[in-house]
Amino acid sequence: MSHSAVPAATCPFTGASTPTETAAAAGEAAAAAATTFDAGIEAPVADWVTIPDLHENPFPIYQRMREESPVHWVPAVNRYMVTSYAACHEIEQDEARFSANEHNSLMKRSMGHSMLRKDNPEHQVDRDAYGSTLRPGTIKKHWNAIFEANNEKYLSELLAKGPGADFVWDYAAPYTGENLRLIMGFHNATQQDMQRWSQTLIDGTGNYADDPEVWAKAKASSDEVDAAIDEMLPHLAKNPDQSLLSGLASMPIPLEAIRANLKMTIGGGLNEPRDVLATTVWALLNNPEQLAAVKADPKLHAVAFEESVRWVAPIGMYPRETTTDLVLGGVRLPKGARLGVVLGAANRDPEVFEDPETFNIFRPKKPHLGFGGGVHFCAGTWIARAQVAQIAMPSVFEKLPNLRLDPSAETVDAGWVFRGMTKMPVLWG
Amino acid sequence: MPTITFTQPTGEATEVTVEEGTSLMRAAVTNGIEGIVGECGGQAMCATCHVFVRPEFAGQLPEVSDDEDEMLDCTTAERTDSSRLGCQIKMSGELGNIVVDVPSDQV
Ligand code: FES
Repeated sequence: MSHSAVPAATCPFTGASTPTETAAAAGEAAAAAATTFDAGIEAPVADWVTIPDLHENPFPIYQRMREESPVHWVPAVNRYMVTSYAACHEIEQDEARFSANEHNSLMKRSMGHSMLRKDNPEHQVDRDAYGSTLRPGTIKKHWNAIFEANNEKYLSELLAKGPGADFVWDYAAPYTGENLRLIMGFHNATQQDMQRWSQTLIDGTGNYADDPEVWAKAKASSDEVDAAIDEMLPHLAKNPDQSLLSGLASMPIPLEAIRANLKMTIGGGLNEPRDVLATTVWALLNNPEQLAAVKADPKLHAVAFEESVRWVAPIGMYPRETTTDLVLGGVRLPKGARLGVVLGAANRDPEVFEDPETFNIFRPKKPHLGFGGGVHFCAGTWIARAQVAQIAMPSVFEKLPNLRLDPSAETVDAGWVFRGMTKMPVLWG
Repeated sequence: MPTITFTQPTGEATEVTVEEGTSLMRAAVTNGIEGIVGECGGQAMCATCHVFVRPEFAGQLPEVSDDEDEMLDCTTAERTDSSRLGCQIKMSGELGNIVVDVPSDQV
């Protein structure tokens, strides 16, 4: 791959033209721990990056970007993309300089202003309102049994469909959708509703092309969710249970925040566990010796799950905005710069992970950034670990002996802001 | 100002001096102490700031809250009677010169 030719281009944000500095210079500047704005270099412009290429397979693109500089201006995405582990980690740990409260946020437009786009102290008020519903104690006491029953049901449905059924759409999606429906307390909706809401709201969040049809669908789902919430809140206030909606029914949280937070949770609570489940099983099916090890030692399900989140982070990028002029990884960023924190790239940084492009459950354990970090650390982390690694995976490999990808059909992995399997027909028996 | 001594499984010890009110996790992360991650930024949500507190200091620590207790069941290195979450220990004058052991596994 050639790294040399960076065509002349202008950063639409700063108006500066492409710097002549080489990757080495960027590295040196970073090494000098430049802290003053003038000490940094202008961000290299990655005008060779396109959204269709990212969607198909972002990893070779990230490899090239990381080698050139930890931070690029990417015209196609209209933001700076941060691809090194160190720079992404620095952002996560410093919400004073890197705000989650982005201007002109697509997520705010699609879902409302949720805690994911708030900084502290506002963020913490919303987050605390979720109480103990998603915490390990409640999972153990309450949710695990429910996840087990749901797994039973949807795995049986997959079996009933017969070989050639799709692992994602005939099992992982309805299973995680039904789990989320109950966690959230949407007793007036179906798992199919959850899937539709999740996908259309997420599509709005990623609607960089400003497609009016995408906005129309997101709006329709948003209205449906509002109506479902309005109906459930008074009911759950009288008949409380362990769900998020039930906890919120007795909280002095404005309805607008409840709505936005729940839509964010619908977006983040279904597609991500669904995608981790399918990606992990896909990776194990492609690595028979690792699969054999997992089958022989049930403790390795959890290890495979974490390695999968590292290898293909289901949320590959999230936004931040600089609150001041600063230097990140040796690159100057003006106040108000829109950043993409590319976890999908950070998790494959060779500075941190040996042979990072390979799925390897035996690699030395190191913290990955797949769940984010700092105050926005994924609130659903333990729910995902429980429903995927503890309940679904062991049961999938036990109940579907000789599970394998269908060689006569295509298997597709796709996406970059969100990445997962979009087609995964399987055989067993 | 109080000090914290972090002892690694290798026996290597590092003493850091901290401002009153700083958590043990934050002190470790700012000083680049190996083996303390602090992924969730101190919300008792990730269990990657697990430490073993030497018994002579245990009595001076605040009680383990319910949130801390359930998270201590999720640590990578096995929980013992001296397990605590570093983010839930705020340094104060009374703690003086606390000594903690860093577990060999944190993720
Ligand atoms: S920093 Fe996450 S539990 Fe202490």
